[in-house]
Amino acid sequence: MFKNFFKVAVRNLVRGKGFSIINISGLAIGMASAVLILLWIQNEVSYDQFHAKKDRIYEAWNKAEFSGDLNCWNTTPKVLARSMERDLPEVEQAVRVDWGSNFLFGIGDKKLTVPGNIVDSNFLQVFSFPLLKGNPLTVLKDMHSIVLTETLAKKLFSGQDAMGKVIKIDNKENFTVTGILKDLPNNTRFKFEYLVPWAYKRFLGDDDQNWGNNSTRTYVLLKPNASVAAINAKLKTYKRQYDKEEPKWEMFVYPMSKWRLHSSFTNGVEDGGGRIEFVRLFGIIAAFILLIACINFMNLSTARSEKRAKEVGIRKVVGAQKISIIGQFIGESILLALVAGVLAIFIVQLSLKGFNELTDKKLFIDYSSVSFWLTGIGFIIFTGILAGSYPAFFLSSFQPVKVLKGTFKKANGLVTPRKVLVVLQFTFAIILIICTIIVKQQIDYARDRETGYNKNNLIYHLFTGDLEKNYPLIKNELLASRVASSVTKTSAPPTQSWSDGWGQEWEGKDPNDKTDFYRYNEDEDLGTTAGLTFVQGRDFNLKQYPTDSTGMIINESALKIMKFKNPIGKLVKDNGRQWHIVGVIKDFILTNPYEPTKPMLIAGSKAWFQTILVKFNNKNPVSRNLAKAETIFKKYNPAYPFEYKFVDEEYAKKFSDEKRTGTLAGLFAGLTIFISCLGLFGLATYMAENRIKEIGVRKVLGASVTNITTLLSKDFLKLVIISFIIASPIAWWAMNKWLQGYNYRINIQWWVLALAGLLSVMIAIVTVSYQAIRAAVANPVKSLRTE
Amino acid sequence: MKHMIKITNLEKIYRTEEVETVALNKLNMDVKEGEFVAVMGPSGCGKSTLLNILGLLDEPDTGSFEFNGQEIAHYNERKRADIRKHNIGFVFQSFNLIDELTVFENVELPLIYTGVSTVERKKRVEEVLDKMQIMHRRNHYPQQLSGGQQQRVAVARAVVNKPKLILADEPTGNLDSSNGNEVMELLTDLNEHGTTIIMVTHSEHDARYSHRIIRMLDGQTVTENILV
Repeated sequence: MFKNFFKVAVRNLVRGKGFSIINISGLAIGMASAVLILLWIQNEVSYDQFHAKKDRIYEAWNKAEFSGDLNCWNTTPKVLARSMERDLPEVEQAVRVDWGSNFLFGIGDKKLTVPGNIVDSNFLQVFSFPLLKGNPLTVLKDMHSIVLTETLAKKLFSGQDAMGKVIKIDNKENFTVTGILKDLPNNTRFKFEYLVPWAYKRFLGDDDQNWGNNSTRTYVLLKPNASVAAINAKLKTYKRQYDKEEPKWEMFVYPMSKWRLHSSFTNGVEDGGGRIEFVRLFGIIAAFILLIACINFMNLSTARSEKRAKEVGIRKVVGAQKISIIGQFIGESILLALVAGVLAIFIVQLSLKGFNELTDKKLFIDYSSVSFWLTGIGFIIFTGILAGSYPAFFLSSFQPVKVLKGTFKKANGLVTPRKVLVVLQFTFAIILIICTIIVKQQIDYARDRETGYNKNNLIYHLFTGDLEKNYPLIKNELLASRVASSVTKTSAPPTQSWSDGWGQEWEGKDPNDKTDFYRYNEDEDLGTTAGLTFVQGRDFNLKQYPTDSTGMIINESALKIMKFKNPIGKLVKDNGRQWHIVGVIKDFILTNPYEPTKPMLIAGSKAWFQTILVKFNNKNPVSRNLAKAETIFKKYNPAYPFEYKFVDEEYAKKFSDEKRTGTLAGLFAGLTIFISCLGLFGLATYMAENRIKEIGVRKVLGASVTNITTLLSKDFLKLVIISFIIASPIAWWAMNKWLQGYNYRINIQWWVLALAGLLSVMIAIVTVSYQAIRAAVANPVKSLRTE
Repeated sequence: MKHMIKITNLEKIYRTEEVETVALNKLNMDVKEGEFVAVMGPSGCGKSTLLNILGLLDEPDTGSFEFNGQEIAHYNERKRADIRKHNIGFVFQSFNLIDELTVFENVELPLIYTGVSTVERKKRVEEVLDKMQIMHRRNHYPQQLSGGQQQRVAVARAVVNKPKLILADEPTGNLDSSNGNEVMELLTDLNEHGTTIIMVTHSEHDARYSHRIIRMLDGQTVTENILV
């Protein structure tokens, strides 16, 4: 029986080539999109799930109230790890991991900066990053030991065995390679290429016992069967034993299974948000795209039903049960899904590179994995059943009496279920179009927002090697050679906040005030270098006013908090020092362009510095400025490469997440529209074929080509318009919800909805009218003669 | 001779929103085993409805339908399909062959649904194709055959399962006279070998091949002519 079904299926596919191509390619594109999204989801949910001790690994978090909110964050004091091991019996081990270090590696003449982490020596005992060479218990015991990933080892030592080789770090200390790690998988939060023991941090003088200095991540491995509730109860009051200044400060541990997808808190409690929302959203989109592709299949199969009706009738007459007919058609659609599935794998393989770039991932299909093949087969059967069940029930319900006697009503018009399906497709497509437009508008809106400083021709370079020491010489030479029009040293790039805090003191301060201020430092000339606007007072000028070294510039938001009538000359105590205010600037965007600017304190040259900020001379070409700057930097910092960043480019990166969302929404919208139009095209073709006699008669009676084109297109357009009416409020609601996440946001305008509606109607017209016009211009004599 | 079909007070009414059409009006009819019966009458008199009910493709509204002594008027679709595939063969005016299947595969179809083994199927299909003299066309598709050849394939398909009853609905309606005669000869031959045949026809010529002509009008039998 299967052989018979198979033969009929294949012959039907070959006979209706056009329909088969539309059906298979639509399904293949839909399946490929779903597979890409599923790969992405699979990657997201598998984050850090490969660690053998994953169920016992937790991260230490703080919980404290400031600026009126109960905040949770995962930067902890360096002293925490050892204290927890000592004080809490539930803790088996604790590991500190710094926020990342870009050390300069020197091997002979070869020099390069590499990203890695400084970690406690038990790091590899807690986390499962397998060592190809070396013993996890001892590789990081010695202060001068270093563990490299396989790729980095190959890169540094040109394929030779790296074990025991020596690397000079930061031009100072020699480290011996004691272990080679297998390269990190693409689904872990860690991003290091090497590991250096914490002892080196101590050696650099960068370790401290200060409970108030939250500056590292602390991971804990709990003992088997330890109660998380018990340890969290202890951690609630743990910190106040050591830090008397912050009696309300709480801590808790957060499980590894939630790091990637959750880690989202509102007012001290998990709010159910985080990346899981994206995972859910993408899952829904995948399901919908697949559904839309399946709807094509359903529509085309049922539209072509009378071509198969006779067959169903005959099979029933010779004794086929309904169930056998259902089985036959579902089997046929599984066969089709199989062909589409194979095609989909090709499409996925071809588009994976682009998709990876778009999503910033390294996704791949593991063909050697049994679960891939099992999932794949399951996916194909699922798709086949999803696409084939409606047509199967529809076709199997034909009455043989009717179909064989020719009284079977031809599906001339669109029957109701098919209308519903087309509406469903276009509703989804229109929602995606609206989302794409709104996401793009929101990005443009934030991007066009006044930043409060001038990003053009502005570069920064972090202090590496001798840069801080030689800063005055470098500044002089940059200015003298006319490469730069202005140079400043700052505590951080102008696009990032590296320090913030509360507890400052000033005259008239409300004792309950716990405002969190951004801290930023500059020596002098930040105003001219970055183009800031002073509303009161002036910038620092150390030659004219040497006391500006303890001067402070505040922004307008800070002034509002401090409530000074005449701020100039007022004193602010912060970080154990008195600063006097010399100027007030207009707010500028330091961090999030979607948030209101925060109060900010800019301290003078007595503070600390990390960055050199250079305003290039506008009169020279950028390439020449860069070349000359490099020579000067190299002259005073020969051991380190010249690693500058353009501020405008860094600022643009702030939009990358939203841009990605926008591009993906656009991509999915395009695909949905394409698949839906493929189906619409098929339906229109079928409709034109089916109404050929009617068209002939109408033409003979005097109908024009326009009349007939309109007649044929009208039914479809009605459906698209209904879809638009359903889609608009849904899209409006969803996007409004999305926009609530941004303080600085657009209002959705009616014309966006109208534009999306117009766009979809136009696309539908183009799709349908080709067939409609073709049918309308055909010679009626021909069509009538065939009857 | 034993009764194969006994119909009493059979009624079938088709209803649409506006119109009620009485297709069969308290119809009574008997067919004995081995009989060849022709049903005649003007268009719309209920011939085809009767044939569909006899073939278990349709259900009567009221009345009794005994088939081989079994009351089957209100059997469900599953049971009807089961009786149909083991007992009844159909021949249609428009042949109704499946375009995607070859001559061989078309004839084979009923055997597939009755679960006959592959080897046995091949044997029986070849036997019947040989008898119908279309063996040389076994790998052709219906569109490649003449009308007469297509109807012979349809007859082959109807008889391959060795049914006790063949229902023919204007079997020569789409054929020229020589092809038509050939088909009638085939049916006569089958009848002579014991198969009961009920044939709906407009053609007096074809009706003369039968033993008995039942004439219908407005959903009832009006006269019966016994020919043999």
